[in-house]
Amino acid sequence: MSVTESVVMQRTDPTDPHTSSSVDQSVAGLRLHALEMGALVIDQVAGAVRALVENDSALAHAVLAREARVDEYEKQLDRDSLTFIALQQPVASDLRLARAIVRIGRELERAGDEAKKIARFALTLDKAADGSPVLAVSRQLRHMAALSGSMLRAAVRAADEMDLDLARAVLKRDAELDAEFAAALRLVMSYVLEDNRFLRPTIDTIFALKGLERIGDHATNIAEQVLYMKGVDISD
Amino acid sequence: MNTNVDTKTATPPRQTATMQGDTRAPGSDTPSLSIAMEERKAFRANPAKASADKLDFWYGSNQALKNINLVIPEHQVTALIGPSGCGKSTFLRCFNRMHDLQADTRYGGAITLRPDNVNLVGPETDPIEVRMRIGMVFQKPNPFPKSVFENVAYGLRLRGINNKADLAERVEKALRGAAIWDEVKDRLNDSALALSGGQMQRVCISRALATEPEILLFDEPTSALDPIATAKIEELISELRQHVTILIVTHNMQQAARVSDFTAFMYLGELVEVDATSKIFTNPSKKATEDYITGRYG
Repeated sequence: MSVTESVVMQRTDPTDPHTSSSVDQSVAGLRLHALEMGALVIDQVAGAVRALVENDSALAHAVLAREARVDEYEKQLDRDSLTFIALQQPVASDLRLARAIVRIGRELERAGDEAKKIARFALTLDKAADGSPVLAVSRQLRHMAALSGSMLRAAVRAADEMDLDLARAVLKRDAELDAEFAAALRLVMSYVLEDNRFLRPTIDTIFALKGLERIGDHATNIAEQVLYMKGVDISD
Repeated sequence: MNTNVDTKTATPPRQTATMQGDTRAPGSDTPSLSIAMEERKAFRANPAKASADKLDFWYGSNQALKNINLVIPEHQVTALIGPSGCGKSTFLRCFNRMHDLQADTRYGGAITLRPDNVNLVGPETDPIEVRMRIGMVFQKPNPFPKSVFENVAYGLRLRGINNKADLAERVEKALRGAAIWDEVKDRLNDSALALSGGQMQRVCISRALATEPEILLFDEPTSALDPIATAKIEELISELRQHVTILIVTHNMQQAARVSDFTAFMYLGELVEVDATSKIFTNPSKKATEDYITGRYG
């Protein structure tokens, strides 16, 4: 067998060591910060949803207070990626990694934004009248929160472990979340049709549900970036 | 006498799928390293100026090139990259039969030059004729210890062009073509060795251009130059491909990325992968290529 034949079918993993240890350090730093940011956003989403369904305003405040850290992480990833590109001039898998990390940072930041909005909504709930629509769809809210949260966790883990199968599994679950959102929407709409005093809380509830649906989209986008990093065509 | 064949009127044959498809690893019955459909499409978009077909090369008993199948698209820049000793310079030198100057070397297979389908490495082909059609620029600027004018006129005089006006016209054209005319037009009778490294290299490019070659070979043309001179040569290479087909060997990966349309990666005398440069440097198909360009060769 020829020398080159033996390596034809394999792919380079972005985590494979380079000859230059400074490149390895840059890559490791980028991945570590993306992972830390991922963990923070997972926490933010879980906290916001719990604040909402358990009517925990202290938790909602804690989520809002940590939002600035999410933004700071995104800026750091952006800066570090740019520095890596300028100084190391990465190509191929390294270049794809640098770009994917920036995109993952952006998706995480947006997921964090959704968590912030849900936390804000949680704070307004105290003032909501009895029979608020949010209570009526609390089962759907919990279910969507569990689904989007687990998609986000899986996407971040796929990025950490460069796990293509896990990334593909995240992509498959997005349709389930979309269907759940459509069902919850129908349920909550019936409220406003019965009594228009609930118009405002109904709209807020819809935004919260939509936020969870968006978090699933961001998880999907992160999973796509994992495939992209490994050189898998994600155009279709 | 001008031995150049007019490439503008002749239509080179389009590449067929089998030209790239039947690459086989030595000693193996199964096709390997065959070029994917997508890559073939990219090559088909450009007519072939030359193609290496099952090219082998030996230095004595040491086989330096193993079954190389590579199409060189016309009016494009093809870069050869790979670690030291992978055979890229050896491959380049086959094109103008430089190995003939060394004893105990042997070619196998063919390098077919279009449109007249001359086998450049065929024993029946006169190496002098080959060198008339294929110019070369080396790593270190190597002007002759003569004036700038005589350096560029050298190849023309060899071809029997002695008419002063004719020579002057062709020398100016070649110097302009290598983007150095403005810098040397008042110093044409000065020694070429008095020029800066970057200027000397461009004079060498002019010398190669003067005889209107069909293919220009560059062997690490900027490794002895500073970044400004390098940028000028790279810019020049981009412009030259409108008139001539270019094959360049470089150790500088970023240079291959900047100047070439196609990049071929060689390893241990074999051609591992060839594709559009944009594909090679963003998402190469072979792990060996990716490991090399990302600096993962231990």
